[in-house]
Amino acid sequence: MKKKILYLFLILGPLLVVLGSLFIGRYPLTFADVFQVLGYKLGFSNIAVPEAVHVNVAWDIRLPRAILGALVGASLAASGASLQGLFRNPLVNSGILGVSSGAGFGASLAIILFDNRTFYVYLFAFVFGILAVALAYTIGLHYKTTPTIMLVLGGVIVSSIFSSLISLLKYIADPYEELPSIVFWLMGSLATARFKDILISAIPMIAGMAGLAAMRWRINILSMGDDEAQALGVNVLFAKGLAIFFSTLATTGAVCVSGVIGWVGLVIPHIGRMLVGNDNIVLIPTSISLGACYLVLVDNLARTLTGAEIPLGILTSLIGAPFFIYLLKRTKAGGW
Amino acid sequence: MALIEMEKATFAYDDQPVFKDIDLQVDEGDIFCLFGPNGCGKSTLIHCLLGIARLNSGTVRLCGKDINKMKREEIARVLAYIPQLHEKPFPFKVIDVVLMGRASHKGFFSTPKASDLAVAEEALAKVGLLKYKDRPYTQISGGETQLVLVARALAQKTPVLVMDEPTSHLDFRNELKFLETIAQLAEETRITVIMATHFPNHAFYFETGNSKTKIALMNNQRFTVQGSPSEVLNEANMLQTFNIKSAVVNFPWESGHVKQIVPLKTL
Repeated sequence: MKKKILYLFLILGPLLVVLGSLFIGRYPLTFADVFQVLGYKLGFSNIAVPEAVHVNVAWDIRLPRAILGALVGASLAASGASLQGLFRNPLVNSGILGVSSGAGFGASLAIILFDNRTFYVYLFAFVFGILAVALAYTIGLHYKTTPTIMLVLGGVIVSSIFSSLISLLKYIADPYEELPSIVFWLMGSLATARFKDILISAIPMIAGMAGLAAMRWRINILSMGDDEAQALGVNVLFAKGLAIFFSTLATTGAVCVSGVIGWVGLVIPHIGRMLVGNDNIVLIPTSISLGACYLVLVDNLARTLTGAEIPLGILTSLIGAPFFIYLLKRTKAGGW
Repeated sequence: MALIEMEKATFAYDDQPVFKDIDLQVDEGDIFCLFGPNGCGKSTLIHCLLGIARLNSGTVRLCGKDINKMKREEIARVLAYIPQLHEKPFPFKVIDVVLMGRASHKGFFSTPKASDLAVAEEALAKVGLLKYKDRPYTQISGGETQLVLVARALAQKTPVLVMDEPTSHLDFRNELKFLETIAQLAEETRITVIMATHFPNHAFYFETGNSKTKIALMNNQRFTVQGSPSEVLNEANMLQTFNIKSAVVNFPWESGHVKQIVPLKTL
């Protein structure tokens, strides 16, 4: 019973936040305006045709951005929580295996090679994000096992390589067109989100999250360490590989549309641990829901706080880091 | 057919041999103790039994089946493992830890059901810790943690418990409590126990209550002696294995008598 109420909240929360963000922004929309647009677009025949500008603002701009924000936040939080379990360390975040640097390199390369054409930026970011993790995983693979320390080192090495390559690309990029694009991409933003962006990137994000959610109990068992997990009957190499695969799908799907958005994968699972405990059966759905709410809310701040938009990645770090200090102090660094 | 058999088991790390040509047989209801000096390869042997490490040559058979041909979950339905030292990465609830014992009975993408919870609670009750089921297991003592791991192993519903120096971090009372729990389980459920230990008196303790207690003395990469604790644990064998002088003492207690071996002096 208690669980059912929790799950109800977890589903309702992001829906309400997404709905709420349709009202927020420079162009004022009333309650009636928004519901007229929604009703009309969802095909209720008895609703009068809304003003074109209302449709444009609520349906074409704010809604896809909010949905994409929710998906990105949920993906980063889900993979953060899962990787924390996998690496047996609550300080791990979704970028530990080098996804962000890999995707950043891919995006920068596409910006230079293809004049910043959206499709190629997505594609390259996605491919290089996956490639980075595959490399880190290969480095971590050691006598048919994947010891945590080797995977972490693999991630550090790969991140560092791709960071240098990003710097190299920045150096050779055209300073008037390409360089700013690269810099803005790396700061992370949802500003260009449209429905067609959701269609492409939702597939890896949802597939990744669904996979992680499906194997969430196995993540509990993997967090007991390799030897114990094996003795408990888990094929550790396979289960770890699969968890890394799913979390990479989710993270890369997110990073390739939003750019680098830090701290969500670290802070959100922590809040989840405080609220519902460490059992991944509950923690992973909770992280998905909280991550979705959090990123949509921060994105609303990003686009309304000042006249010009603040890049989302900057805000998530500015809010996330101090909040994390508060969490650590409150929970005495890890007692939850 | 023996429950567990090892034949000509040999293991080496790179070129560093750990043990050679070991034969071992454990039958149903046995309490099998592995005893030997530090670094003699007890833990490695246990890892090979569990299929966590692989023998360089020789075979391990569980219920007659070659371990190399068994899937992880099949092995985990025969052997449950209680480690020497358990690191607690997250403050899971006690019951969540015990529930993990059910993994080998469930599909990869499943979560535990009400029936699994019932098994876990029963296991926790058997070690007397049902009252702690909703506590974070980071907030219980080392002795209790070890019993929770026993409960996890019981929830695995295996015919065999495998333990690697399970009492090495416990205080005097908790050590005894642990032994009592295991002896009681062995008596009530006829569960088979394999236990690596640094304390010969553990074997005597089990022998007092269970006639099927065996001990193997492991030294210089092989089993030097195997037999009942009374046969194996004597002054001559201790001298040979540990180069110490010791004495076996007998004293009456309750209706029977208790045997202990006391170390006296290093040589």
